[in-house]
Amino acid sequence: MPHASKTPAEAVEHYRGRTVRLLSCVTSVHVVVRAYHLSDAPHELELADTAKMRGGPLSIDVAEEYEVRQDRDGWRVEILGYLYAIGYEGRELVAYHWHPRGKSSVTRPHMHVGANIQVGDRWLGKVHLPTGAVGLEQVVALAIVELGVEPLRDDWERMVDEAAGR
Amino acid sequence: MATRTDNEIRELSPEEWDQRVDEQARKRLGMSGEEFERRLNAGEIDIDDSPDVTRVAMMLPLHATRK
Repeated sequence: MPHASKTPAEAVEHYRGRTVRLLSCVTSVHVVVRAYHLSDAPHELELADTAKMRGGPLSIDVAEEYEVRQDRDGWRVEILGYLYAIGYEGRELVAYHWHPRGKSSVTRPHMHVGANIQVGDRWLGKVHLPTGAVGLEQVVALAIVELGVEPLRDDWERMVDEAAGR
Repeated sequence: MATRTDNEIRELSPEEWDQRVDEQARKRLGMSGEEFERRLNAGEIDIDDSPDVTRVAMMLPLHATRK
């Protein structure tokens, strides 16, 4: 359950802070957001550019769409869509997508793998492999724990845990 | 290992966001943001055509809802 705040602006600040701290575990590339206005929805947060990660030829790209919603406990940021991609030597290795309102027939969370394998008349890389909702913290942990990226912060596990509670 | 400070956040105005969409479309796809949005909406481009198409398209729902 995302953190509840007293005001929409506080919820946005909380979300931005957590996300930036999480991203700082693997990259120093800055984060770009569209200026927050209460009447605008949804909003966008993304890495300014694809970022090379330390410890090998891996890179990361991140974009999130979010909305601020009110419930009985206060204001929360809800993720409405995302793109989390890990690249290897400049090519996409794995990408987690959720674009429910975009121009796609596939509106559920899915992933693509950078596999150059033909399956019937389709390339595996274009197949939408179903997933549940994936959090950015899971992708950051994947990069560090499974793919050998060297974290830029020694408290990265705390940042992952913090983001998992957003 | 030293703990780094948090990354910088740059907040863009709607006009700056439009400019960023255009820059990303030109850089990644070789066309203007306006052309990309038109072709995507017309079905000439599929969101899954390439990672770069998906990346720029992710910027568009917000972009489009302001118009």
